[in-house]
Amino acid sequence: MSAQGAPQGEERKRNRYDFDRHAPGYRERFVEITEEMQSRCPVAWSETHGGHWVVSGNRELFEIARSAEYLSNDHDVKGERRGYQGINIPYAKRGKGMRGGFLEMDPPEQRHYRQALNPYLSPAAIQRWIPFLDEVARACIDEKIEQGSIDFIDDLANVVPAVFTLAMMGIPLRNWTIYNEPAHAGVYTRPDSPEMPRVIEMHIAMMRDLAGQLADVRKNPRPGLVDALVHAEINGQTPPDDELLGVLALLIGGGFDTTTALTAHALEWLSENPGERDRLSRERDTLLDSATEEFLRFYTPAPGDGRTISADCELAGTEFKEGDRVWLSWAMANRDPSVFPEPHTVDLDRKGNRHNSFGLGIHRCIGSNVARTAFKRMLLQVLDRMPDYRCDPEGTVHYETIGVIQGMRQLPATFTPGKRLGPGLDETLEILQKVCDEQRLAEPVTVRTTRADIPR
Amino acid sequence: MKVYVDPERCQGHTLCAMIAPKVFQLDDVDGHSSPISEDVPADQEELVAEAVRSCPERAISLIDEH
Repeated sequence: MSAQGAPQGEERKRNRYDFDRHAPGYRERFVEITEEMQSRCPVAWSETHGGHWVVSGNRELFEIARSAEYLSNDHDVKGERRGYQGINIPYAKRGKGMRGGFLEMDPPEQRHYRQALNPYLSPAAIQRWIPFLDEVARACIDEKIEQGSIDFIDDLANVVPAVFTLAMMGIPLRNWTIYNEPAHAGVYTRPDSPEMPRVIEMHIAMMRDLAGQLADVRKNPRPGLVDALVHAEINGQTPPDDELLGVLALLIGGGFDTTTALTAHALEWLSENPGERDRLSRERDTLLDSATEEFLRFYTPAPGDGRTISADCELAGTEFKEGDRVWLSWAMANRDPSVFPEPHTVDLDRKGNRHNSFGLGIHRCIGSNVARTAFKRMLLQVLDRMPDYRCDPEGTVHYETIGVIQGMRQLPATFTPGKRLGPGLDETLEILQKVCDEQRLAEPVTVRTTRADIPR
Repeated sequence: MKVYVDPERCQGHTLCAMIAPKVFQLDDVDGHSSPISEDVPADQEELVAEAVRSCPERAISLIDEH
């Protein structure tokens, strides 16, 4: 990955940079590459992956990402429109023939889907789930609290977002293990890895379960995001099942690995900075919100998205042609010193933190309130129940590449053991399943406004 | 001082209501923001200014009438 010298070809592509988000070197040299691109070519043309633009400057990204009239997210899998390839650059072979839900659609369809799902995912809707989230996190920690050691990924940060996502969807909680491994391994496994066939097999099992859930909810209605999709009218029509499955897969993909990645990175940083960890715990009433936003900015779990230019235009001083592919780097724009002073430092009470970690414009992450709330509830229980935890750098495994998610595979830690407070995870999930069913927790906020009431 | 949230720009990032919960309310259904009252109490001006600086979509304006 490097800057290229003499301009070649079209004048509009004179600012060049050889960029590959999937290269291991991108993770290792992230700061250096970000600084070089922002200072030399905040909008750069890269010849990699068939040629595409890369936007790393914050101001440029702000202008381009919000220009909905010139951008398309469309993934035209059946070749019915203009053949656009959706949000992956390079084109993900694994995703061929499968549209990534409303993230790979344009309005009005995209808007209709969001209108159907927003009442399940708004701040008011997510607030109702806090007692549920606290109980899942409590059970996860209880499984490990007496032994004084935990893997924050396997034992906490994978579990809580997975169980919560399924609960909101209206899928049986015990099925979380069917979804958990493919949702993470599908992100970190390289296409050429010998592990890939096994990952694909697990992915197929997950999609089969999703298809089964869709059919089951149609037959035996129960509240949740699946039910919302079954009844959704998109442009006045009920969408075909393959389109709905793409939406369900998007909700799984968005709900699982991203929050895990945020939580893991924050816990690792707080272990390395115990003074800041103690301050965050002490001053949580004033510091938790800003610290959460700062971890979101600094670690940007979903580092970028692709777009296709839908009409010739000039944006942020660059001339684009219809059909051009553009990579919007939320992660690099979050480190732009012109907007974030000392951008490569974590500052738990950073002011003016207008980060892009949930995207910008009409595609703002629909699960942003889910991510923030699940993260905060997990973090608070760790601070309360294992305040002296220390992560083991030897056993920590980061994703080798950060092209899709900046995540972690392992984050082992030790701490002073404590007492259990309640039943273990399996028993807790059985109890919570009953609560979900009896209190119809997964109804939209337009139907049920009260909080979950967890018997203890 | 008066505060204005541009409904065309707001995408429901919710930072304003986190920073100044006495000034901004979020829609129950989509989380989009609006001011509870366009007149900003004097003791809230600093927080509203911080909300303006923190909005990812730059959807909030604080207007000095004097």
